[in-house]
Amino acid sequence: MAGYGALVHSAGMSIWIAVVSTMGIWGLPGQVAFIEYVLLGAPVLSMVLAVSLANMRFLPMSLSLVPMFRGSPSGWRWRYLWVQLMSVNTWVGLIRKAPHLTPDQRGPYFAGFSSICMLAGAGGTAVGFFLAEALPFYVTVTLIFMNPVYFAFIFAAMRVRASLIAFAAGAVTGPLIYLLTPEWSLPISGLIAGSAGFFADRLLRRLA
Amino acid sequence: MNETLHTAAGAAPWGLLFMAIAATYLWRGLGTVIAARIDPDSALFQWIACVAYGLLAALISRILFLPVGLLERTEMVDRLGATAFGFLLFFAFKRNIGLGTLSAAAAFLLLVWARGQGIL
Repeated sequence: MAGYGALVHSAGMSIWIAVVSTMGIWGLPGQVAFIEYVLLGAPVLSMVLAVSLANMRFLPMSLSLVPMFRGSPSGWRWRYLWVQLMSVNTWVGLIRKAPHLTPDQRGPYFAGFSSICMLAGAGGTAVGFFLAEALPFYVTVTLIFMNPVYFAFIFAAMRVRASLIAFAAGAVTGPLIYLLTPEWSLPISGLIAGSAGFFADRLLRRLA
Repeated sequence: MNETLHTAAGAAPWGLLFMAIAATYLWRGLGTVIAARIDPDSALFQWIACVAYGLLAALISRILFLPVGLLERTEMVDRLGATAFGFLLFFAFKRNIGLGTLSAAAAFLLLVWARGQGIL
């Protein structure tokens, strides 16, 4: 999150925007898309679409997380709050730990370690923001550079064929469609590259 | 209508941020509402995952090739060279994400610093 804090600083926005966006969006891809859009000055609708599409993974994640709280009245009541605390790490954490916990224990367990993760994320964002203020250009720009590079490695480590094809297609269409329409390039290339990966995988499965 | 109201830079940052937060919470909340009524392994969800990956790849690649903001002041050969160097170590060490990211960052830091010093 330090790289993200530096990015917000470079966009000329306040520390509060940096920290609140980390805790409120709580999904780095959407956060980076948000700041990139502010830098571009693109239409609001396009920004909302891009952030939303970038964080669409939360839908299947909350679908599989929420049933874990079933069977516990208190856990179930707070489920709309639990999903806000959910990130990839905390989601994996609960899915892995859930079989060892009773439904009543899952809510407090998840709330506890997810809020620690979120506070650490907010702290990291603030540190990156202030580092960007104090450090020379080559360090700040490296912190910002880490945002895209970190994602590139996360995805390169994936083993699912459909996602990998979508990822490769997006890497090609991203800059090309940006040249045609900077404002709308992200939603458009996401839909094109994603559908390409999805259908190419089906076709390959049928041929195999 | 005022043209700037329709662009992200023209509107107030807090208004934009709350729209971005709502756009993200939409998926979290929707998942909560329809949980257990739908199969997470269905084709629709695979497509959703693919669109998210495609969009992120497009964003990463656009930032590396055509950056906006501070990164604009760095050389493309530095950005791509450092990324390639990170990938080399990433694959050499069993797809180690942390090692790949840190080595790419270290290479980039060195390149940008060297240019600033007039060495490159």
